Amino acid sequence: MEYLSGVLLPQLLHGVVFGAALGLLALGLTVIFGLLGVMNFAHGELYMFGAYAGITVIGLTSSFWVALVAAPLLVAVVGALTEVATLRPLYRREPLYGLIMTFGLAMVFREGARQIWGGGMRRILPPIEGSIPLLGMIYPKYRLFLLAMSSALLLAIWLFFTRTRAGIIVRAAVQDAEMLDGLGVNVPRVFTLTFAGSAALAALAGLLLAPVFTVYPQMGVEVILLAFIVVILGGMGSLGGSVVAAFVIGIAQSLLTLWMNPQRVAIAIFGIMIVVLIVRPRGFFGREGVLE
Amino acid sequence: MSKLLAWRGWLVFAVLAALPLLPWMSKYYMLLAFDALLFGAVAMSLDLLIGYTGLVSFGHAAFFGLGAYATAVLLERGVLSLWLCLGLAAVVVGLYALAVSYFATSRRGIYFALLTLIFAEVVYTVFRYTQTFGGSDGIQGLPPPEALPGVALDTPARLYYLVVAYLLLAYLACRVIVRSHFGRVLVAIRENEDRARFLGYNVQRYKMGVCLISAILTGLAGALYPGRAAYATPDLLHWSVSGEFLIMVMIGGLGTLVGPILGGAFFTILQEKVSSYVQWYNIVVGLVLVLIVLFVPRGLLGLRQALRGRAGREAA
Repeated sequence: MEYLSGVLLPQLLHGVVFGAALGLLALGLTVIFGLLGVMNFAHGELYMFGAYAGITVIGLTSSFWVALVAAPLLVAVVGALTEVATLRPLYRREPLYGLIMTFGLAMVFREGARQIWGGGMRRILPPIEGSIPLLGMIYPKYRLFLLAMSSALLLAIWLFFTRTRAGIIVRAAVQDAEMLDGLGVNVPRVFTLTFAGSAALAALAGLLLAPVFTVYPQMGVEVILLAFIVVILGGMGSLGGSVVAAFVIGIAQSLLTLWMNPQRVAIAIFGIMIVVLIVRPRGFFGREGVLE
Repeated sequence: MSKLLAWRGWLVFAVLAALPLLPWMSKYYMLLAFDALLFGAVAMSLDLLIGYTGLVSFGHAAFFGLGAYATAVLLERGVLSLWLCLGLAAVVVGLYALAVSYFATSRRGIYFALLTLIFAEVVYTVFRYTQTFGGSDGIQGLPPPEALPGVALDTPARLYYLVVAYLLLAYLACRVIVRSHFGRVLVAIRENEDRARFLGYNVQRYKMGVCLISAILTGLAGALYPGRAAYATPDLLHWSVSGEFLIMVMIGGLGTLVGPILGGAFFTILQEKVSSYVQWYNIVVGLVLVLIVLFVPRGLLGLRQALRGRAGREAA
């Protein structure tokens, strides 16, 4: 019983918290993949930008809450500009070019961050301090806020895609962009706005996780492979699948650290991934034969 | 079948061989030339997969790094023979490539890329955290390998000639492959995999074959690297290195063999030269990549071929 409330339960909850934030990150990635057919290698750098933009805004206003609104907006602008300047000319080319292009963009962004904010480790203090008793354990309040915030955002995104006209247009573009174009929708604008939205989500994930982790220019590299794994596991282009897979990976990683050292955990996660790719490449909820 | 290497090819290699005779070829420039040609050779091996077969490998750093570690482990234990190092690298990389390609070639497109990436990440994680291989520091301070007993490859000129010889042999091997029946089938697979299968070709076996060849060539290049650097570190295995190899192929031009050699050399020299002037060289390198994808998607050599093609059509 002590093991349950002292070790297992907190670790499980850590996993759920991390999974929710990972879901935010992976959702943007999967929408862009469905829309443009591009695996966005620079997505991790947008996540990193979110944390650094947060540090700058907090430095100016000394308020985490202002940063939570301003940082995603700033990164969304960066995302929109990037999309128009670099990805728009690639719409009709093979997906491979998008992959390589975003690899180059990631290099530029990472080095840019190092030049602007320096290469050292930075921290953001949690805006909510202290812990509260929960189910027989003491749990930090900020992590609970992180979970609530991420879950609310995931719910909002689900409502956006199912209940609003704009969300339905984006889903239609994933289905068949050409048809949508024929119906008179300005498809390039849909793409750009969606990319901006995906950048904002990545930035939110970066800023929300910053008080739990540390902020440094390479932080996107550490997380992007995990986000890729989530997207594939959930099924490329499947929104619900990504969210489910994010929780699965978050919880699996968190629980496995109880019994293994971190590198074994990493290898175990890669192992899960390899098995899924071989046995069921479309993931949990993906359509069969997408990009195969 | 025409000659393996046209007179212009031999001329290029003759010029490369004469390069150390130039008075301003300092030690620094010799080693830079070594790197340029070595990574050119790697990019060329990768081109067999991407350019000719249409398989995008995002895991070539694992082949390169495994080759480097094979040499490093032997040198560290006092086995100095270059040939043993190359032999061990070929065996280790070959076995690993067989396993990876068996699984990866069962999937197409982006899934192939991701499977190779994830397998390579497993190798990276293993080397990064295993103390036998020096953990994150890797294996450092290695003695130079010996081409013959007593003949150590300890001068920049000897190393340079080694890599020129390697590039020549690897290039000839690749030329033979792409012009053979095997090579024609690879192109057929790239153009239309299903049709190649309907014609009765065992597509997966061809794909595994070309993966194996490309991996071993990359691994042998990797095995030469510790001779120059005196170390092997897990950074050589990181997926960003695989990305750099892809960049080299893209810069040079897919499916041309010569293009990727130029691309590899260009990228290596660009990175080295820019980094000696500015700290933010990754911005320059990244931007060059973005511009190439945007404006010269067929690479340096593709550009030339396109121009020549246009001129030819206009003349006709």
